[in-house]
Amino acid sequence: MAAEFVLEHSPEEHLARCLDRIEREDGRINAFIELNPRATEEVREAPHGKLRGMVVGVKSNINVRGLRATCASRTLENYVSPYDAVVVERLRREGAVVVGMTNMDEFACGSSGETSFFGPTRNPVAEDRIPGGSSSGSAAAVAAGFADAALGSDTGGSIRNPASHCGVVGVKPTYGLVPRHGLIDLAMSLDQIGPITRDVRTAALLLEVIAGRSREASMLNADPEPYSRRLTPDLSGVRVGFAREFEELTAPEILGVVKRSLRRLEAQGAEVVEVELPSLEKALPTYYLIVFVEFFSATRRYDGRRYGHRIEEVCGAEVLRRILLGSYISQKEYAGRYYRRALQFRSLIRRELLEALEKVDVLAGPTTPKLPHRLGEELSPLEMYAYDLLTVPANLAGIPAGVVPAGRAGGIPVGLQVHAKPLQEQLMLNVMLAAEGRE
Amino acid sequence: MKVRIGFEIHEQLATRTKLFCTSPADYRDAEPNTNVCEICLGMPGAKPMGVNAEAVEGAVAIALMLNCEIVQEPVYILRKHYDYPDLPSGYQRTSMPIGRNGELAGVGIWEVHLEEDPGKYDPVTGKVDYNRSGVPLVEIVTAPDITSPEEARAFMRELVKVLQYSRRVRREGGTMRVDVNVSIEDGARVEIKNINSIRGLYRALKFEITRQKNLRRRGKAVRRETRAYIEEQMITRSMRTKETAEDYRYIPDPDLPPLRITPELVERIRRELPEAPHQKLARFVEQYRISRDDAWAITSEPEMADAFEQVCTQVEPARAAAFFRHIIKKTLNYHNLSFAESGIHVEDIVQVLRAISEGRLSQQAGELVMRRVVEGERAAEVLREMSRVDEQSLVSAVEQAIHQNPGAVEDYRMGKQEAINYLVGQVMRITKGRADAARALELLRERLS
Repeated sequence: MAAEFVLEHSPEEHLARCLDRIEREDGRINAFIELNPRATEEVREAPHGKLRGMVVGVKSNINVRGLRATCASRTLENYVSPYDAVVVERLRREGAVVVGMTNMDEFACGSSGETSFFGPTRNPVAEDRIPGGSSSGSAAAVAAGFADAALGSDTGGSIRNPASHCGVVGVKPTYGLVPRHGLIDLAMSLDQIGPITRDVRTAALLLEVIAGRSREASMLNADPEPYSRRLTPDLSGVRVGFAREFEELTAPEILGVVKRSLRRLEAQGAEVVEVELPSLEKALPTYYLIVFVEFFSATRRYDGRRYGHRIEEVCGAEVLRRILLGSYISQKEYAGRYYRRALQFRSLIRRELLEALEKVDVLAGPTTPKLPHRLGEELSPLEMYAYDLLTVPANLAGIPAGVVPAGRAGGIPVGLQVHAKPLQEQLMLNVMLAAEGRE
Repeated sequence: MKVRIGFEIHEQLATRTKLFCTSPADYRDAEPNTNVCEICLGMPGAKPMGVNAEAVEGAVAIALMLNCEIVQEPVYILRKHYDYPDLPSGYQRTSMPIGRNGELAGVGIWEVHLEEDPGKYDPVTGKVDYNRSGVPLVEIVTAPDITSPEEARAFMRELVKVLQYSRRVRREGGTMRVDVNVSIEDGARVEIKNINSIRGLYRALKFEITRQKNLRRRGKAVRRETRAYIEEQMITRSMRTKETAEDYRYIPDPDLPPLRITPELVERIRRELPEAPHQKLARFVEQYRISRDDAWAITSEPEMADAFEQVCTQVEPARAAAFFRHIIKKTLNYHNLSFAESGIHVEDIVQVLRAISEGRLSQQAGELVMRRVVEGERAAEVLREMSRVDEQSLVSAVEQAIHQNPGAVEDYRMGKQEAINYLVGQVMRITKGRADAARALELLRERLS
């Protein structure tokens, strides 16, 4: 199997077609905040690597030299990146071209794509619906055919949630497998960069390019495998766990799609077994307490001296809520009660997931508990946070999780989520390939 | 009234690179904001590299020299949040203790840990220079075991010496910062910040103790507060009280896994540990048979002690010791320089001592030579110049040469130019080589024309 990206046209022609589509349709979808004015030039000079000619959108919280990494916030509206994130360097080295910076929830604080200072993004597959978030523009750009792939970031589901809603593939790698240097923080102990693509094969290819050692402190000492070359849909002997708790927490129309997908895995030789994750419901409050504290810390640099605006003065309601809560609970007198407790629960949840993954090879289930709401519909913060119920455990445990389109419910895409043990991206991708049902 | 004084001492470690990135840590001759990268500038998205191993080893070595136990558990790096223009990320990274329960000169050492230096903010121009941002610091926290400004001064001198001996801190000077805690008779603890010299420390303590005693004499309570030392006025001034004290919201830095200092590393550093000042002093007394006072003076600086040992390979130690203690120390004090900064080479000292022992130079003249060495000359040149015969003796030597060599004089007068070189040679012989040859030639030409 070819371990490189294949184009029907010349790279220049291919880029021109993407740009043409963006020009015609992105006024409506709003997937991009900014396009790369040098893209045409860059595609001509691109090295002949295994991604040559691949058109990539980059989430606006990842530094691309010369483009604005706004985080979709007024806070950084004038911040032009002086450096490339490590993942962007690696993409360029293999011949990919950054077409532009994608829209997102402000500072990745959101699960709907609606909190952007640059306006909400539409779901290209179901245009009256939200695309999900926070990597809303990245998923929408790939779903709409504006780009071959996009980079997103995933702190508690920000790659997998919009991938599920938009009917594309999204991968959150093992924590520490992909360098974060250049990714603007939401919660440092949870954030990972990952690919969003239209098929599992391209996701595998992109992942093997961006993953692997770098000099930053929080990396694992792990090299990527040649995932794309080793991909196989043969699941003989693979045990797939399905947690009973998934059933209780998920809307029936989503469960129906997911169960059909599990049967496809069985057809490929997998054995589906039931497992238990009794602490699953504790994951959400644990996750948000950690996010608030780490996000508060991460935003202290936006003090108005270097980047033009003091964040608290210009940010949206959700960002402000998180900063204030983070500041409140990390006070000396409360630090033990909230943040330390959250870290203890985090260990518990990690242990429980890893124990479940001792009994099976992967866990498969739904990505979100409900279908995406209509654009403009008002949700309370807690209703919004509830979207993340099934995606945050992977971040808390640091394990890989990927989403692959499983079918539709009432015309709206539903993704199957696959979790694996740390650094078992290959097996996870194989299961995703089998679920994808392409040959 | 019983006074209790404790210190928090910060000193820059002499590493090649900064604590969390590879920007150069020595920024002294660099233009503002040139020794920086996205990491030490705290740019959005930048992530720290691992903690600089050289800095960790430096902190361990210093902790060992202060007789600390090295911490076995994982050492977390914390974020200390506060808002100041010199702090590019809005937090300073500071480690949990690396060493604990040490002791120096009877004063307890509570802990030794690592920190990153912030940038440098100039409140007048409003400009920040981030060259210093991320430079590794070692922080030493003492127990409040000191009871007077005099003791404080003596302890700090000893500590500075130990730090210099560790060879792990910057030797350029002016980088040490001290925070002092002072309390009287179990009264509230007052912290004084912004002290950067031993003299400043002494003056700040004198002022602060008098202030607190006066308050108590008038029946007033001392407030728990943080005060700043104002160097120009030699006073302390209130910065903030307990009620307005900052909450730093410490959290373990999620970007940095905790440090693990292995017993193997500690053992290696312990084996390679330089001699401590008191050890060197004892050895000098024993090995070179010199007095304790001489040894104390010579070991006041590690570079001077090194030079002494090298000089002793060529000169008798007792004479070398006297010269170091009386002449060299005096010269350095006069110029207010450390030996390391003075530019004195071992060779300079050896030559002066030889000239003195051979009777070519008096003790006083030796001091003059050392003064000129410190001002930038080399002893060899100075000695050559000083030993030249004066003009009068040169003239008589020239006349003697003419008188004793009529043949050569005749040859020269007949037009044989080389003959004059022979006469110069004779002048040099008569003066035992101490004549200025050029001047001798000039005088010969005058006399023979």
